[in-house]
Amino acid sequence: MTMAVETMAYREALFETMDGALAQSEDSFIIGQGVDDHTGIFGTTLGLAEKYGSHRVMDTPLAEEAITGISVGASLNGMYPIMTHIRADFMLLATNQIVNIVAKYHYMFGGLFKVPMLIRAVVGRSWGQGAQHTQSLQSLFAHIPGLTVIMPSDSASILTAYPHVINEITAPVISFEHRLLYELDFAIDRQQIAETKDPLASQLKRRGDDVTIVATSVMVLEAMRAADHLAPFDINCDIIDLVNVSHPDTAMIIESVRKTGRLLIADTSWQAYGVAAEICRIICEAAPSVLQEPVVTLGMAATPCPTAKTLEDMYYPDLYDLCDNICKLVTGLEEHNIDLPAKEPITDTYKHFRGPF
Amino acid sequence: MTISNLYIKLFREALKIRRVEERIIDLYPYDKIQSPVHLSIGQEAVAVGVCDALRTEDWIFGTYRSHALYLAKGGDLSLMFAELYGKVTGLSQGKAGSMHLAAPDVGMMGSSAVVASTIPHAVGAAMGAKHRQTGQVNVAYFGDGALEEGVAHESLNFASLHQLPVIFLCEDNGFAAHSPVEMRQSFDRQTLLETYKIPTTLIEEGWDFEKISKVMSELVEDVRQGGGPKYLEVKTYRAREHVGPGEDFDAGYRNRDDYEHWCAHDPLILDQDSVALVEADIKQAIDAAVLFAEESAWPGRAELMTDVI
Repeated sequence: MTMAVETMAYREALFETMDGALAQSEDSFIIGQGVDDHTGIFGTTLGLAEKYGSHRVMDTPLAEEAITGISVGASLNGMYPIMTHIRADFMLLATNQIVNIVAKYHYMFGGLFKVPMLIRAVVGRSWGQGAQHTQSLQSLFAHIPGLTVIMPSDSASILTAYPHVINEITAPVISFEHRLLYELDFAIDRQQIAETKDPLASQLKRRGDDVTIVATSVMVLEAMRAADHLAPFDINCDIIDLVNVSHPDTAMIIESVRKTGRLLIADTSWQAYGVAAEICRIICEAAPSVLQEPVVTLGMAATPCPTAKTLEDMYYPDLYDLCDNICKLVTGLEEHNIDLPAKEPITDTYKHFRGPF
Repeated sequence: MTISNLYIKLFREALKIRRVEERIIDLYPYDKIQSPVHLSIGQEAVAVGVCDALRTEDWIFGTYRSHALYLAKGGDLSLMFAELYGKVTGLSQGKAGSMHLAAPDVGMMGSSAVVASTIPHAVGAAMGAKHRQTGQVNVAYFGDGALEEGVAHESLNFASLHQLPVIFLCEDNGFAAHSPVEMRQSFDRQTLLETYKIPTTLIEEGWDFEKISKVMSELVEDVRQGGGPKYLEVKTYRAREHVGPGEDFDAGYRNRDDYEHWCAHDPLILDQDSVALVEADIKQAIDAAVLFAEESAWPGRAELMTDVI
């Protein structure tokens, strides 16, 4: 047994990487609304303005498009910008810069320029966040060539990915961080993190022969819980944490489905034109014959997110829905008679989160 | 009239730009340049005067109408023609074309087809320059229509708030595509800039590259010494259509009288002695650049798929 395993909250992992980025290079800076205030992006930048100065940890006017463009200019001039959006929804105000400029600056000018930067966007959920504080927009940006879009699902993933992005990648990266993850403790293995060969690669989190579950962000945790619940019923899940939404490990997905013959995709966003649709495209184009059953996808209801708790609980799939879908897919039976977990929204399960946002 | 060294230097530069664009007009019907072109004919003096006041290591960010800016900043003519032709020897292997000229080695840091979108880039580069204490001046070069965009206001606010070494250069030709300013702006631009506490300077004589250079030089020196952001607006006149090689005085949104008023001041038209002095060299340079473009190879699949990430 290694002694290296410790426990760290997602928020703490984020803080460690932010502190590390500022310590590593004088030319790195964090910029975003409220990065220097008493909440410090949910604790992930808390105290860093005092430590490194307000020119390194910059609060901004409410100007998402300009801040993104300013980060482009700063990046061209040798700085490394880390932008924060306390809700991914606000990032839409910067869509022109992200899609028309950031994604294209390297290609459009034939490689004359590079604009390395990290954009951190927090995906909200529960406690009445409503339609404009909950959107999980990974597919919108992963659609655009030139962007790398990641969704780290635990503390180890943050500690693995962020230093690599900040220190090694000379291109823009957008990371969607799920708010529900922030206060959760995860086991981390420093040695394993240090030895990871491809820090942004999709990860096989669990092995099983009956069904492949491809999941993103907090849905990886849900898939792990579902797999724990179903193991006693001899239903065994292969779970792939996609991590890199824009550049998934297609070989890993195809190999897994070749083994299990069954594929379930659980994403934090809507299914249409999203991660679910894209993983289906990959399988359909590259290896349709590996599927023994039709694909099953889980995502949010095809509506804007409602605010009332009763509606919100219906809008998101829960552990019961996930287990039920896995059982139906694996047994081939609508009435599978396998005991399912209580119907409880995951936000009640992860009781740490209590708003206001 | 006594002719200064500065005058003849800038005259040569401005005439070169005009002749380059006249060559583009000549070539356009032959489909040698298969992309939109936004010509600067009539506006050359602004780019020439502004860039004369800058060092090579000072940066400028332009728009889709940037042939003049690129050349005035010192961009190579052969690489530009090859880029317009879509050849692999072009600045950006043909991936950029007329609307996205760039040459980082001379401080031409990019140009965008989306109005106002490069304004924050100059502000951000200025933030980098201030942080790293390089003494570099950054220029956001845009048209009057850009000041209607939200990002322009966000950028002005940020630049003033942080007293960044950036100059906002408004090239006012009076039209956003075909819409006159009075249909677009409820505000007075000078007052607007004063609201952001950014000092403004206005030059009415947009044909006078010497004056533009002198005024710009003073602003550049001030900004370089830490004097904070400045705004310079230069009135000018676009002689050709918004996009394309032709004239459009019969389109109904403007008339030829305005054009002729500007021609009556234009040294590139009036000063035929200086034209005669520099014309031959310019023609030779353009011939060579066009030949280079003609003889260059096309980009292929390798270029298509490289430099995406």
